[in-house]
Amino acid sequence: MGNNRYMQNAVTGWMIPHGEHSDIVMSTRIRLARNLREFRFPIAFSDEQAEEVGRIVSEALLSTDEKGYSYTRMNELAPLDRQALVEKHLISHQLAEAEQFGAVFLSEDETISIMVNEEDHLRIQCIYPGLQLENAYQKADETDRALEKKLPYAFDEEFGYLTSCPSNTGTGMRASVMLHLPALTITRQINRIIPAVSRLGMVVRGSYGEGSEAPGNVYQVSNQLTLGKSEREILAELANIVSRLIAHERRSRELLLEKSRIALENRVFRALGTISYARLLPAAEAARCLSDVRLGIDLELIEDVDMTILNELMIFMQSGFLQHYEGEALTSEELDISRAKLFRERLQKS
Amino acid sequence: MLCENCKERQASVILMQDTPNGSIERNLCEKCAFNLQTFSISPNQEPMSIQQFLSQWLSGSETLQQQTREVQTMPECPECGLTFHRFLEIGKFGCPTCYVTFRERLPKVFGKLHNGNTIHKGKIPESFNEKMTIKKKIEELRLSMQEAIQEEQFEHAAVLRDEIKDWKQKLAAETEEEGGSEHGE
Repeated sequence: MGNNRYMQNAVTGWMIPHGEHSDIVMSTRIRLARNLREFRFPIAFSDEQAEEVGRIVSEALLSTDEKGYSYTRMNELAPLDRQALVEKHLISHQLAEAEQFGAVFLSEDETISIMVNEEDHLRIQCIYPGLQLENAYQKADETDRALEKKLPYAFDEEFGYLTSCPSNTGTGMRASVMLHLPALTITRQINRIIPAVSRLGMVVRGSYGEGSEAPGNVYQVSNQLTLGKSEREILAELANIVSRLIAHERRSRELLLEKSRIALENRVFRALGTISYARLLPAAEAARCLSDVRLGIDLELIEDVDMTILNELMIFMQSGFLQHYEGEALTSEELDISRAKLFRERLQKS
Repeated sequence: MLCENCKERQASVILMQDTPNGSIERNLCEKCAFNLQTFSISPNQEPMSIQQFLSQWLSGSETLQQQTREVQTMPECPECGLTFHRFLEIGKFGCPTCYVTFRERLPKVFGKLHNGNTIHKGKIPESFNEKMTIKKKIEELRLSMQEAIQEEQFEHAAVLRDEIKDWKQKLAAETEEEGGSEHGE
């Protein structure tokens, strides 16, 4: 079990554009919350119980057919390395803060992360590129079934899977889809869409979860309810909403091209100029420009930039990664310099 | 910032504590805040959090005083010591047994959070599935046996009785396999 493998290969599976609607849908994520019957939840367990949970889960995982997981405890990682894993969407912010007893098992291709002692004893996460709700659920479900044979899960006939937070009780499943919606944002339609979607039992928010803005016009749509609906019903409802958002975004893009082509081209190429030549690149500006360049590629206005590079830059532009890349802590100005340098280098290579 | 109490984990909760010299603020992690049960907390994370939602719901009730009294006299969880009142404040359960302890109150909580839904529909772990199937089978056989007795078909009833016995043994074996009946059915 290699320890720091995932820090060296900075590009991870979900960043390589693939799957249906990969021009608009960046990734699909399924997360299952599970707990062990005989232990208190992490908010209330003793240090001994925490160690015990970690040990039992490790043993269970080693005895399944699922091979090739790397195991990393949070207390073995420097804070910047933990932050880089969060920025790659491989672990949650909360796990990164669970310094003492938090740990993660990562599959070789990094599509599966099993987080231990986060808010729940287990969080099984599967992340795929593009829109792949069915595939991602199947993979998460498979992992869950393999673990369920070895682990005594806390389950109740009436309430389903028991979780620390009552908002996860039932299926314990959060399915989320990350979408790039520049045209809906430019035309301000997103402001009407967000409340409409929330009335359907789904949540729309910025890509880094609760309370965050939507840097780079990337939004995350996920299910709010976990009780009273089966996994299949939740996935079907989410798929329905996502396909409507995609159709809406496509229509708006066409309309923008038709009605204000020059203004759109101007915006897209200025953005490309900025990220290709800037010497100081603040995060907000970088995110905005990346979104514009991405839109330019999707609309075939820009032809010689590879989408994979943009997906990478979206992750690498964040402060945890930049500092990891430079190998030291950076001030805010140094971050902007480093970000501009990284962008220039990556874009010249292509 | 580190938690003032354990000085190990990140502080994520501001706890207001009344002292003879006025009220003071303490920055704690969730875990220490959970253990210091007598205070009221205001979370500084997640602007519209579950705990706020639940505590607002509690204080916004029309029969506030009666509700509060009822909630305060409810037993605490024998496993982790969480009280229902405390659960409403922090918005988190302490252990699986909390669900058993507070069972009668939970449909109301879940109804609010899950759009009126209070019963799980969806995946069931295989081990539970088997047990539930066996239980249903036993129930069916018992009904048939009662019918047989009423119709005075005693020989048939005896066959059914033996069958029930077999299934009950299977159920007991299933429960034992899962390592203990403490939280079992």
